Amino acid sequence: MSALLSVQGLTVRASGKTLVSDLSFSIGSGERMGLIGESGSGKSMTAMAITGLLPANISVTGSIVLDGQEVVGTEDKRLNRLRGVATAVVFQEPLTALDPLMRIGKQIAEPVRRRLVREQGRATRSAVDREVLDLLDKVALPQPERIANAYPHEVSGGQRQRVAIAMALACRPKLLIADEPTTALDVTTQAEILKLLDGLVRETGMALLFISHDLPVVAEVVERVMVLRDGIALEEGAVVDVFSNPSHDYTQTLVDAARMFDEALGRTGS
Amino acid sequence: MLDLQNVNFGYSRHRKILSDVSFSVRAGASVGLVGESGSGKTTLLRLLLGLERPTSGTIRFGDDALDPADGAFMRRYRRAVQPVFQDPYSSLDPRQKVLDIIAEPLQSLRIAGPRKDAVAQALEAVGLPLDAMQRYPHEFSGGQRQRIAIARAIVARPQIILADEAVSALDLSTRIRIVELFKTLSATLTLVFVSHDLGVVASLCEEMVILEKGQVVESGKTRDILTAPQHPYTQRLLASIPRMPA
Amino acid sequence: MTALDLSTGRPARRHSLSLSIGLALVGLNVAVALLTLFWTPYDPLNASGGRLEAPSLLHWVGTDRLGRDYLTQIMIGARTALIVGTGAVAIGASIGVTLGILAAFATRLLDDVMAATLDILIAFPTLLLAMLVVAASDSASLWSATLALGLAISAIVARLTRILAKRVLRQDYIVASRTSGTSWPGVVVRHVLPNIWPTLSVNFALQFGLAVIAEASLSYLGLGAPPPNASWGRLLQEAQGTVYTAPVGAIAPGIALVALVIGMNLLADGLRDVGDPTRGRSR
Repeated sequence: MSALLSVQGLTVRASGKTLVSDLSFSIGSGERMGLIGESGSGKSMTAMAITGLLPANISVTGSIVLDGQEVVGTEDKRLNRLRGVATAVVFQEPLTALDPLMRIGKQIAEPVRRRLVREQGRATRSAVDREVLDLLDKVALPQPERIANAYPHEVSGGQRQRVAIAMALACRPKLLIADEPTTALDVTTQAEILKLLDGLVRETGMALLFISHDLPVVAEVVERVMVLRDGIALEEGAVVDVFSNPSHDYTQTLVDAARMFDEALGRTGS
Repeated sequence: MLDLQNVNFGYSRHRKILSDVSFSVRAGASVGLVGESGSGKTTLLRLLLGLERPTSGTIRFGDDALDPADGAFMRRYRRAVQPVFQDPYSSLDPRQKVLDIIAEPLQSLRIAGPRKDAVAQALEAVGLPLDAMQRYPHEFSGGQRQRIAIARAIVARPQIILADEAVSALDLSTRIRIVELFKTLSATLTLVFVSHDLGVVASLCEEMVILEKGQVVESGKTRDILTAPQHPYTQRLLASIPRMPA
Repeated sequence: MTALDLSTGRPARRHSLSLSIGLALVGLNVAVALLTLFWTPYDPLNASGGRLEAPSLLHWVGTDRLGRDYLTQIMIGARTALIVGTGAVAIGASIGVTLGILAAFATRLLDDVMAATLDILIAFPTLLLAMLVVAASDSASLWSATLALGLAISAIVARLTRILAKRVLRQDYIVASRTSGTSWPGVVVRHVLPNIWPTLSVNFALQFGLAVIAEASLSYLGLGAPPPNASWGRLLQEAQGTVYTAPVGAIAPGIALVALVIGMNLLADGLRDVGDPTRGRSR
C-alpha cells in the first residue's frame, strides 16, 4: 500500500531562518498520526507546506508527495485540485476560519458544490442543500436548519469548530489535517470535538494528521506520533512507546510535565 | 482574609454575569477559581482587583469592605493584592525598561526605600539575572516575560497574588517551570489562581471553587473534589480532561 | 506561532538612507534659517543691485524686480517656512493630542460626538479653513497663518491620537499599571504617550511638510506674512509676471520649497524605517 502522504527531506526557510529542517515521514491511507511540538517547532509550517499554502517568499525544498502528486514546486493551479480532494484542513481558531459575513449553510455549500460537480458533473440546489444538512447532522449540531441559516457569530465557539469540521468533511478528503483544532476551546467542548473527530475518522476511513502541543489530547486520537523541536524531528513511533520510553531528553521533559499535571488530578490513566 | 458574600454582577436583570457568589480565602491559602468560558471568572477577578464594583453583595478584605472609590483604602489594598495576567506579550509595556516596569508599584504606591534593591530582590526571587533590569521586554521569551510580570507583582511584598490564567499562554515545558515558581511563592503568600485548566489548579491549589455560568457549583479541598466530585458539572469537567496513557 | 512577519520577513533596520538624506535637507534649511538671524548676504529690504539681474558672482541667485538680492530673500523664506511649519505643528500637536487623549477616555456618547466633529473638521479643506481664520483675524501676519494651520492640523492629530490611545488602553499593561496604584494621568504620561509617540512623530513630520506648502499657498494668494517676512510663496507670486524673462525668480523658491518638503517626508520615512528599537518581537 503506497503512502497517501510522503514527506522527504522537507526544509522550509524564511529570511535566513530555517523553520523546518530535513523532515521526513509518511502517512498511509486510514492512518492516524500526531505531530507534537511547542511554539516555534515548525509544526504549523509543515501543515501549510503539505497543502502548498505557504507564501512565495518562504522557500520550500525537499519532496512532498500527496496522493501521488508532488506538491513542492508545483504551480498553484494544479495544487488547487488537490486541496479539498486529497486533503482538507481544520484550523485552530474557529472565529477566523469562517467568513463572518456569510451564512453558515452557504459556506458549507461551497465545498459541497465543488465536490458534486467534480464527481457527478453537476450540482443541483436540492442536492447541495440536502448534503449540507446531512453534514451538520453528522457533526452532531442540533437543529441543522437553524444553524445553516445562522451567521458564524450567532453560534458558540464549539459549534463553529464543528462547522469548520463539517466544511472539511464536505470535501471527502483522503487526509484530514487538524492544526490545534481544540486549543481555543473549553475542556468540555474539547472532549466532545475529539470524540467527534475520532468517530468520523474511523467511520470514513480518512487518514488524520493531528497537530498539537497537548500530549494527552494527541494521545486520544492518534496511533503514531512524531515530536518536533525547532523544525527538527526528534523521534517518531507509536504513542504508547514514545510516551513510556522516549529516546530523547526533550520528549522526556514534555512527557514528565504532562504526567505531573495528570497525576495531580489523581487516578492516572483511564 | 478575603471574603465574598452573595456577590452579584450584571449589566441588566436578565444578563447576570455573576449570581450569588460566596466564598472565602484564608491567609496563606492557595485557592483555585476554576471555570470555562462564560463562567464569570474574568469578571470575578476584575471585582477582586477593584476594577469594577459588584451590583450587589460585599467583598471584604480583612475587616473592611472593598470600595474602589476610597482612595486611601485602595492604596492599601493594591499594596496587599497584586495581579499576574495571562498574556506575557501584552502585560508588559514594550517601551519601558524592565527596571521601570517592575518598579512601577513602588513608585505609584509611594513605597519608601531604595528601588533598585527591591527590584533586584524581586528578580532574584523569580530566577532572572540582574542585568535584565536594563533590557526591554521584547528581548525575553514568553516564560521570562511572565517571570518579569511576577517580579512586578511581588516587588511591593503583597499578601495576596491574583493570577489570571497565568500559565495558559505558555508552552508545556515553560509552564511547568512557572508553576514551580508559583508553588514556591505560595508558601509565603496567599494565592488565588484563576484557570480553566484543572491539571494546573490541582498542582498548585489546596482548595478549589468551581464556577459555572456565574454561580459557584462546588467548593472545598482540591483533594476531596477530585476524588469525589459532587456536582454534575464538576464530574463532567473532570471526565472531559484528556489523560495520559498509562 | 510567532514572530516572522510573513508579508515582508524583514526585521526593522537601524540605519536608513531616507533618514540620512532627510536629515541633511532639513538640517540645511535649519542652518540657513538660523544664519539669517545674524547675517544675510545683503540687506533684504533695500536694493543692492540692478533689477532682475541674472545670477552672478555678486548675487548668486540674481536680484528681484526691485533690485534686492534674491538669495537673501530665499534664505529668509526658509526662516518663515520653518517658523510656520514648526509653529503650526506645535499648536496642532498640543491641542490635538490633548483632545485625542480626552476623547479616548470619553464615554461612548461623548466620544461619538467628538469623533463626528473631528471628521467634519477634517473634511474641510485645510487651505479654506486657514483662509477663513486669516480673514477672521483681521490682518494677515505670520501668526495668523501659523494659528490657522495649527487648528487645521489639530483636528487630524486629535483623530489619530484618539485611535492610537484607544488601542493602547486596551492592553493588559494598562490594567497592570492601574493595579500598581498608578492614577489615570500617571498612566497617560507613563504608558500611553510613549507608546503612541512613534506613530505620532511620523505624522508630525508629514504635517510639517503640508503646513509649509499650505503657508506658501497662503502667501501666494496674498494672505500670508507681509514683508519683511519673505515667504517662498510670495516670491513665487511676484515672479509670475517675469517668469519668461527671468525664470530664476520662479525656479529658485520652487526648488527651495520642494527641497524642504521632500526632506521632511524622507525624514518621516526614515523615522518609520528605523522604527522603535523595541520592535522586532522574537521567540
